[in-house]
Amino acid sequence: MDFASPSLDIQRCGALLADASPTTVSAFALTIAAGICAAGLAVLMRPGAQGIRIAGTVLALVGFAMLSVEVIKRASVGSEAAGFPPVFPVIFGLLSTIGAVRVITHPRPVFAAMYFMLTVVSTGCMFLLLGAEFMAFALVIVYAGAILITYLFVLMLAQQSPVVGVGDAWYDRVPREALSAVFIGFVMLATLSDAYFSAKGQSFIADKMQASEFDGAVAGWKRLDAMPKLLRVAAEQTLAVEVAMAKDPTAAATTPVAISEVVRNADGSAITMHADTASIVVKLTDGSTRTLALAPSMMPENSRQVGVDLVSKFPAGLEIAGVVLLMALFGAVILARKQIELGEDERRELAGMRRFTVEGEAGGSGGMQ
Amino acid sequence: MIDAIMNSSHVLVLATDSASDRSSINMALLLSAILFTCGLIGFLSRRNMIIMFLCTELMFQASALALIAFGKVHHDVSGEVFVIFILTVAAAEAALALGLIVLLYRRRETLDSEAWSELKEA
Repeated sequence: MDFASPSLDIQRCGALLADASPTTVSAFALTIAAGICAAGLAVLMRPGAQGIRIAGTVLALVGFAMLSVEVIKRASVGSEAAGFPPVFPVIFGLLSTIGAVRVITHPRPVFAAMYFMLTVVSTGCMFLLLGAEFMAFALVIVYAGAILITYLFVLMLAQQSPVVGVGDAWYDRVPREALSAVFIGFVMLATLSDAYFSAKGQSFIADKMQASEFDGAVAGWKRLDAMPKLLRVAAEQTLAVEVAMAKDPTAAATTPVAISEVVRNADGSAITMHADTASIVVKLTDGSTRTLALAPSMMPENSRQVGVDLVSKFPAGLEIAGVVLLMALFGAVILARKQIELGEDERRELAGMRRFTVEGEAGGSGGMQ
Repeated sequence: MIDAIMNSSHVLVLATDSASDRSSINMALLLSAILFTCGLIGFLSRRNMIIMFLCTELMFQASALALIAFGKVHHDVSGEVFVIFILTVAAAEAALALGLIVLLYRRRETLDSEAWSELKEA
């Protein structure tokens, strides 16, 4: 199989040259933006007057805007086209951030859980934008549908309702060591953003994306190769399209051709990959063979690929996940069970021994006598 | 004819717009950093035990998002498979932690984590 592609190499060289040129991003912009975010959050953490809260919100929003502008600017460094400005990632990122900040600043736990749901849904949208459809819906179903509901149930079981005149419980209103926590968070955010978005990190990401683009396609086609039924369907659809396109309107109607089998190579693979196309060879019912070029839309969709990877590459992990869930089930049952104090007699009886009581001795089944 | 189709499907390799792809990956990485930071700050500074565990869920979300973004960088779905395991662990953690919280609440009649501060060393 011919995997090497000259055009990819040229692209890679171009990217390397572009990366070598001096970049226009400043070194401390990200750290400053993270600092502004942290200052806004520090203001928001403290319970205060409304004016102060609004100032904190504005500060945090400015910090977020600076961070995202800087991050988007760095994404286009080293690539030739500026690309469409990423509107949806910014919107969902903002929504998700607002949700997360409200989770940690809202004095009422039920509202915090609701804002967490906002975070979950907009993170799910982010997953969609990244092309991970299956995980997006799994996330919303599992998190928003199951885990959050459990949290809300426990909140209803355990939370005291706010008392009139006193308001919410004091431990929900007053944070513990807010300033040091925010400082630790600032260090974390500055470190992470420097690791991700420094010139070195960005060129690593760009290189990896270009280098693995072809591998990703190859992996997708290989998964299709491993699914004979789907491969056959793909071959039939491709053949139908080709026949429809090749049809001469003036020609007389010919007998329709159909696929009798998909020809496999010596190593068992049916799909042959070239520089940027994939093709299969099929044997038709009239005995002739034909080469079909597969369209990109024939590649298995995301959920199918995840499923195939899950059971073929990580079967042990799947089993362990099942064991973890089972153990969590046992643990939850044991924790939630009401403790019943048993007397000495009941315990002896459960152990299959005779009771100590007089009636037991007198009317027992006579094991000892 | 085949040549014509091959030319028409020339952009077979997942027809990606590299620049906008990279900016959405960058936004996802930024969001994951922010979410993790928020979760960390919340876990350190909130006193309500339920909110503390909600913040760990926030951190789980952040790591899931980073895994998916890096999976996209590598054009590999293994990242998404790992996210399935994260979901499993998060569900198990929620079940156990909430059971524990209900147990602790029955003992002290409060959700304040400071109520258990005698557990710390001297």
